[in-house]
Amino acid sequence: MTTLKTLLLILAILVILVGGKNGFKAIISFGLNFCLLFLSVILIAGGFSPIMVSVLSGCCILAITIYLSDCQETVANTAFFATVIVLALMVIMIIPFDHLVQIEGFSSEDSEEVEAFNLAIGINFESLLIATTILSTLGAIAEAAIAITSGMQEIIEQTPAISSQNLRKSGRTIGFQIMGMTFNTLFFGMFGGNLALFILLDKLRSTFGYYLNSKIFVGETFMVLYSAIAVIGVIGVAIELMVRKVENQQVKQD
Amino acid sequence: MDKIKKFVFPICLFIGGGLLIFFLARNDAFLYQQPIIRIIKVENSQPQKITDEYGNHDQQVDQKLTGKVLNGKYRGQIFHFKNTFTKSHGEDQQFTTGQDVFVNYYHQHRKSKPTVTIINYKRDAYLFLLIWLLLAALFLVMKLTGIKAIISVAINFVLFLVLVQLDITWNITNFFWIFAAGAILFTAISLLIVIGFNQQSLVTFIAVSSATALALGLSYLVTQLTHDSGMHYEALDFATQQPKQLFLASTLIGLLGTVMDASTDIVSTLFELKQSQPKIAFKQLFLSGRQVGRSIMGPLINVLLLVFFTETFALATLYFRTGNSVGYTFEWTMSLGFVQAIISGIGITLTIPMASLLAAWRLEWMNK
Repeated sequence: MTTLKTLLLILAILVILVGGKNGFKAIISFGLNFCLLFLSVILIAGGFSPIMVSVLSGCCILAITIYLSDCQETVANTAFFATVIVLALMVIMIIPFDHLVQIEGFSSEDSEEVEAFNLAIGINFESLLIATTILSTLGAIAEAAIAITSGMQEIIEQTPAISSQNLRKSGRTIGFQIMGMTFNTLFFGMFGGNLALFILLDKLRSTFGYYLNSKIFVGETFMVLYSAIAVIGVIGVAIELMVRKVENQQVKQD
Repeated sequence: MDKIKKFVFPICLFIGGGLLIFFLARNDAFLYQQPIIRIIKVENSQPQKITDEYGNHDQQVDQKLTGKVLNGKYRGQIFHFKNTFTKSHGEDQQFTTGQDVFVNYYHQHRKSKPTVTIINYKRDAYLFLLIWLLLAALFLVMKLTGIKAIISVAINFVLFLVLVQLDITWNITNFFWIFAAGAILFTAISLLIVIGFNQQSLVTFIAVSSATALALGLSYLVTQLTHDSGMHYEALDFATQQPKQLFLASTLIGLLGTVMDASTDIVSTLFELKQSQPKIAFKQLFLSGRQVGRSIMGPLINVLLLVFFTETFALATLYFRTGNSVGYTFEWTMSLGFVQAIISGIGITLTIPMASLLAAWRLEWMNK
C-alpha cells in the first residue's frame, strides 16, 4: 500500500471516529469536491473557458461544503447567499487586478520544473489564473460564512429580543476570532507551502525589492491576500444578512 | 445629514489613500538600485502561428519597445529593446505603454551606450494597493480590533524569515528541528496576540502543540512503515536541501495553522460556555467541545483541499495538454500536496478530542 493511500485511510477512520454521522458527511463532501476539482482541470485542459468552469464548479463546491456541513438549514441558506454575493464581488475584483499585475503562468524560478515543456499550449494562462484564484478563495469563504452564521444564530436563539445594534456588535466579536484564526490557516499554509521557495530566494540573496516585484512571490502573496479579503467580506456580508433577517422576524412578531 | 457625513468621510479616505499609495509606488524608482525603464512606445509584429507536436495552437508576437530610464546613471535617456510573447502567456507577458520594467544593462564597448534586456516587471504598486484594500476592508468590518490580526501575521512573517535565514547560516543536517522550534514560537505569539495572556491561551497552546506533534509523528511513522512508496520527494519545487526533511518542515507549518484554527474555536467556545453556565459538568463540556469540532471539521478539511488543489492547476493543465495520463499527472503534480492536505486533516481530527478534553479538564479543575 502506498503512503498516500495509508494516510487517506487513517484520515477516513479518524474522521468517522471523531465525527460520527457528521464524519460520513465530511467524507462525502471531501470526495465530491475532489472529483469536481479534478473534473474542472480536465475540462480546462480540454479547452473549455477556465472562468466559466471555475464559476460553475465553484457554486457546486460552495453548495456541497455548506449544505453537507453540520449547520441548520436556515443558517445554511444565509451562509450560502452571503458566499455567493462575496464570490461575485471577488470575481469583479480579481479580473482587473490579475490583468494588471501579470502573475499568470510560470515564473523564472519555475523554469527548471517546466523546461522540458513547450509552454505555448494555447491555453490562456491569465484566465486559468483567475479560475485558480476564484476556487482557492472558496474554501475559506465557505468556512467563515458557516462559522459566523452559526455563531450568530446561537446568540439569536438565546436572546430572541436582541437589538440589531447589539447583534451586530456580537457578530463582530465572533467574526474577529474567526478571522484571526482563518488568517492563521491561510498565511501559515502559504509560508509552509512555499518554504522551499523562501529558502531558495534567501540563498540567492534576493533583495527586498525582489520580494515586492517577483512574479512568484507576488503571485503567492496575492492568493493569500485575496482569500483574506474574501473572508473579511463574507463576515461583513453575513453579519448584515443575519441582522436584517432578525429585524424582519421581529417586525413580523409585532 | 450626519449619516451621509459618516459614510462620505471613510469613502474619501479610502479612495484618497489608495490613490496616494498607488501614485507613490508608481514613482518610487529612485528607491531601487536596479535600473527601471518606463515603456513609452510599443510596436507589435504580425502574430506568427505555431503548433506543437500535440496539436496545440498558439500565436507568437515580437514587440519592439521604447522606454525612458527612471533612475540611476542613465536617468532620462531613451532605450530601445525587444520582447517576445505568446498568446497564452505561459512564461512571458505582453507589454503596453506606461508599464515599468526592471532591466539589465549590457556594455558591448566600454564607452558606448549599453543595450538593455528586461529582467522583471514592476509589480509593487499593485501589491501595495491590494494590501491597502485588505486593511480598508478589515477596518470597515472590524474597526480597530481587526488590525491585531494583521499585526500577528506580520510578526509571524518576520519570524519565519528569520528562521529561513538561520536555516541557511547554520546549515545543519537536521534542519527540521529549527522549524519545529519555530513552530512553538509561532503558536505562542499568535495566541498571545489574538487571545491574550491567560488560562485560555495556555490550554489552547498545549492542545495545539500536542495535536500537531501527534499528527506529524503519526504521519512520519506511516511514511517510514510504507517506505515512502509513491512519494516523489524529488518533485518538490525549488528544493535546495534534503527533500524529505523539507517536506516535513513545510507540512509542519501548514499543519500548525489549521490545528490552531480548530483548537482556538473549540477552547474559546468551552470557556465562554463555562462563563455563562458556571455549573456545567465535565462530561457536558467535553461533549460540547466535540460538537463544535464536528461542525468545523468538514469545512476546514475542504479549505485545505481547495487551497492545495488550486496550487497545482497550472502545472496539471500543462501536463494534460502535453499528452500525459491522468495517473501520471496526479502522481507528479498533485500527490505531495495531497499528502500534506491529508496530514493537516489528520491534525484537525486529532485536535477535536484533545482540545475538548484539555479545556474541559482545566475548567473542571479550576472549580475545585
